[in-house]
Amino acid sequence: MLLTVMASYVWAQDPVLKAPGAVSAGQSVKLAVQGHGSATFYLVGPDRVLKRKISLGEEIEIAAEDLKTAGKYEAIACNGGNCSNTQFNVLPSQPAQLIFFLHPSRVPVSSGNAVNATALVLDREKNVVWSSANVNFKIDLPDGSSSTRAVPTTRGIASFAMDSRSRQGKVQVTASLDDVSEPRVIQQVAAEACGLRMTAAPTGRFMTFQTDPIRDCGGNPLPDGTIVSFTKTDSTGRSTVDSPIKKDRAVARFEVTGPAKVSVACGVVVGNELSLGGAR
Amino acid sequence: MRPPTRTLWCLAIAFVIVIAASLASSVRADVNLPRVVIIAEGIGPRQIEQRTGETVTHDYAQAWHDIAESLNSNRADLLGEYLTGDCKRQLSQRISDQKRTRLRTEYVDNGHDVKAVFYSLDGGMMQLEDHAKLETKLFDGQQVIYTGNSTHIYLVLMTPGADRWLIRSLQEVPEKAF
Repeated sequence: MLLTVMASYVWAQDPVLKAPGAVSAGQSVKLAVQGHGSATFYLVGPDRVLKRKISLGEEIEIAAEDLKTAGKYEAIACNGGNCSNTQFNVLPSQPAQLIFFLHPSRVPVSSGNAVNATALVLDREKNVVWSSANVNFKIDLPDGSSSTRAVPTTRGIASFAMDSRSRQGKVQVTASLDDVSEPRVIQQVAAEACGLRMTAAPTGRFMTFQTDPIRDCGGNPLPDGTIVSFTKTDSTGRSTVDSPIKKDRAVARFEVTGPAKVSVACGVVVGNELSLGGAR
Repeated sequence: MRPPTRTLWCLAIAFVIVIAASLASSVRADVNLPRVVIIAEGIGPRQIEQRTGETVTHDYAQAWHDIAESLNSNRADLLGEYLTGDCKRQLSQRISDQKRTRLRTEYVDNGHDVKAVFYSLDGGMMQLEDHAKLETKLFDGQQVIYTGNSTHIYLVLMTPGADRWLIRSLQEVPEKAF
């Protein structure tokens, strides 16, 4: 009689699950489950649900494949209507990938805080590695010089802004952490024109207006194709010719039959103005 | 008539209050969506504009609404248009597994206290830390196999889409992670 009561108590016992507090993503784990008889085991994670029959008292092995995604996992064992549960955290593993953004792709020279770099640290399973780490940014400049900057991550992100340099050309920034590195290249281009000037010369019935070589204040030539606007104002009204820079200069022709004024502008920069007396 | 300097001081103080109120304001989402309050006081390096804050708040709330609906009904198509990338893939996988094992998850969403912690200078990425109060029930068929009522901490990455903000990563972290 006593044995029967004891046996029924043992068989009615709820399963008791024990899990480690935390495991690393992509590693297998063994859970201890106490009790007698059989039960249904469930594992519910961020991207995974497992359900299988288990024998109580034996360890439950969960494959690495089922623990790739970092987050909280709920382990549940049910024996009939009696369920027990435990939780464990799957933590990101070692940094293995960098998502790296360098903006903008083209930036004018000598602009304050105009270049910004953002690196996101991931493990090999693409979990954000939120524990602190140092990302090194190596900056290679057009003149061949280079510098390095170490930026600690906060919640997996390292970010900084820097001035663009005074010389145009390619700037390469390489973000690296342990064995992982990601290079990105941006182009530093000339800033606004500086000291924009044109001269005029007669060409038959027309006057030809030509700028001096157009450069920014750092001496960088503005790229071919940049639009320069020539505007003539005379008794008939206003007319504008937009002309792209070719080999550092822009050229426009107007027919000038009376007194006229011609001005030149490039972007937000206004150059000199010429006053003309009329056709000769 | 008031002296002009005093009037100017009053105007200046009023202006500061308006600015402070708009910067420190927390925006609430629609009534039929889960409660989401986003605080952006310590965010950097870029500040959140008021309109962006409102959009992120709404879209984050809508995303959680969709997550709850889809996990409860095991329909990946209800994950909607506010999730993308690995986040959407992972939840779709979980729904597929739930369907296969006859499980479903029921959330009672008691609200999200969200801290916006990072907003990239180019405006291409925002990171949030969400303290979500969730009552969770897991069902195997009709049987409840788990109930829980606790605060979950999520590290969230959102990126802007054409007309909305999308959750790209939704990663639960331990209580004392930060």
